[in-house]
Amino acid sequence: MRPALCGLTALLALVLVSPASAAARAPAPAQPSAWDKVWRSEEAAKQVSAVGRAQTMIVLDGGEVQAVAQVHAERGKLRLDYDALHRKWSLIDDGERLVHLDPRRRRAMITPRPGFVLDRSLAERNYVAFVTEEASAVIAGRPTEVIDIVPRGEGPRVWRLWLDKETGFVLKRERHSVTGRRISGTEYLEIEFNVPTDSDLFGVPKGWESVGPSERQQDLSLEELSRRMGFDVLSPHNLPSGYVPWGRYESRRGPGHGTMAELRYTDGLRVLSILQREPRAAAGPPGEGPPPGRLGRERHGRGPAPGRGPGLGRGREPGRGGRGFGPPEFGAMSVVDRGGQKALRYFGRNRVIFVVGDLTVDQLTWIAKGIR
Amino acid sequence: MARCDRVRTTLADFVEGSLRGRASARVEAHVRDCADCRAEVAALERTGELLRETGAIPAPSRLWGSIQAEIAGTGSATAIRSLRVLWRGAVAAAALAAALIAVWMVRPPEAPMAVPTVQQVQIDAEFQSTFEGHLSAIWVTPLADEAALGLQMAALGEDG
Repeated sequence: MRPALCGLTALLALVLVSPASAAARAPAPAQPSAWDKVWRSEEAAKQVSAVGRAQTMIVLDGGEVQAVAQVHAERGKLRLDYDALHRKWSLIDDGERLVHLDPRRRRAMITPRPGFVLDRSLAERNYVAFVTEEASAVIAGRPTEVIDIVPRGEGPRVWRLWLDKETGFVLKRERHSVTGRRISGTEYLEIEFNVPTDSDLFGVPKGWESVGPSERQQDLSLEELSRRMGFDVLSPHNLPSGYVPWGRYESRRGPGHGTMAELRYTDGLRVLSILQREPRAAAGPPGEGPPPGRLGRERHGRGPAPGRGPGLGRGREPGRGGRGFGPPEFGAMSVVDRGGQKALRYFGRNRVIFVVGDLTVDQLTWIAKGIR
Repeated sequence: MARCDRVRTTLADFVEGSLRGRASARVEAHVRDCADCRAEVAALERTGELLRETGAIPAPSRLWGSIQAEIAGTGSATAIRSLRVLWRGAVAAAALAAALIAVWMVRPPEAPMAVPTVQQVQIDAEFQSTFEGHLSAIWVTPLADEAALGLQMAALGEDG
C-alpha cells in the first residue's frame, strides 16, 4: 500500500513540475498585432536583399496605366527599372536621394530624398489594421498573410497588404482612394531573397550628367517662411480630421516655376500639401478664367477683366477667360485629378493657393477657402 | 438623420463663424462627411453672399421723425404721405426678403452642390511642380508603394 502511495505522489509531483504543465500555467505569449506585422514589413524592406520583377498599376484619366519593373532591394536601397510609356527609365532611392535615370539623354535627375520621419503612432491613432482571410493568396509562389487598413472613423479601406509569411516583406499592395476606388497597386510576379546585389546599381552611372538640387528642403517656422516669401503665409482654418502639421518649406521646383510656400500635413499614412504664392501680374495659364456663370458677380481683381475672345493659349481650360491676360478672378478654382491625388488651384484675394492630397474636390475646396 | 437635425440648428452660426471650439469642430467633422449638410452650408454661404452684395439698406432719416409726429398726433398731411411712402418701401423690402428665402427654400437639391464651381482642367507646369513635390513626400510615408509612385512620377513628366 505504502509503495503504491509513494509512487502516486511521485507521479503527481512529476506532472506538476513538468515543462509542459508549466507552459500551460504561464500566460500565453502575446500575439503580434496587425500593426506589429505592418511595421515588421517596413523593417523587412530595410533589412532584406531581394531581386524580383513586379507588376505595378496606377489610375490616370479614368483608365489604368500598367508597367512591369525589375526591382533590386538592398538593405533600404531600392532600384526600379521600368519599361513602359514607350520608353525605359530607372528610379533609384539610395536613402539620401531619389535619382531618375534617363538613358536616352544619359542624364540623372536628382532630388534630395525628403528627410521626414513619421511618428508611427499617428497612423495607429487614425487607422485600424486587421488580418483578413478574405483575400489570402500565394504571391510569387510564397504564402502570404493579408492585412487591411481602414480609417478609424468612417471611410473605405485605404490599404490592403499581402505580407510574405516568412520574411514579412510586402509582396503585393493595393491602395484605395478616399472614395474607395483602387488607385494603385504593385504585385511581385517573382522574387528571390538574399541575392547579393552590385552596389553600383544604386549610383549614377559613370559619364552621365547629374542635374537637380543637392540640398534637402529645410523645415522653417511660419515667421521665417513668411519672411523669405515676402508675404504672410497663412495656416488653414479647415483641416480634415486626423491631419497634423508635418513641415513648412520654401518650395523651389525648377526653373520658371518660382517659389512657393509649402505647408505639409499628414494623418500618418496620407499627405496633404498646401502651397501659397503671391498672384503674379499675369497669373494663370492662358485660357484660364472664372468659373462659368459667375462672371462679374465675384470680380474683385484690380486688373482688367479677362478677355472673352477665343483665347490665344493652348485652350486647355474652358473658362471664359479668353486671352488670359490680367489676373484671374477672385474665387476661380480649377482641379487636376491624377488618380488618387488631386490638386486644386484657388485664386484667393491676395494669394494663389494649391491644395494637393487624396481628398474629394469638396474637401480640397473647403481647405482652400479656409486659408484667410 | 437625428444627428443632421441637431447639427442643422447650429449651421447658421457655423457659417457666420460665431461657433467656437469643440462645437465648431463637431460641426466641421459632421459637415465633412455629410453631403446634405455640406449642401446646406453651401446654400447658407451663398445666401450670405447675396445679402452682402445687396448691402444694408439704411433707414431714411425722416422715418423716426414721421413716426414721432404721428404718435404725437401732430403729423401733417406731408408727414402722413411720407410715412405711406416709407411703409410701401418697407413692404417691398420685406417682399424681396421673402422672395429670397423662398428661392433658397425651394432650390433643387443639387443646386448647392454646384457652388462653388470647380473646373476640371489639364495639368500645366505649375500643377506639375506641385504634384512632383507632393509625390516625393508620399515616397517617405509608411507603406508607400514606390513602384507605383515611380510610374506616377514618370507619367507626370509625360503629361506636364
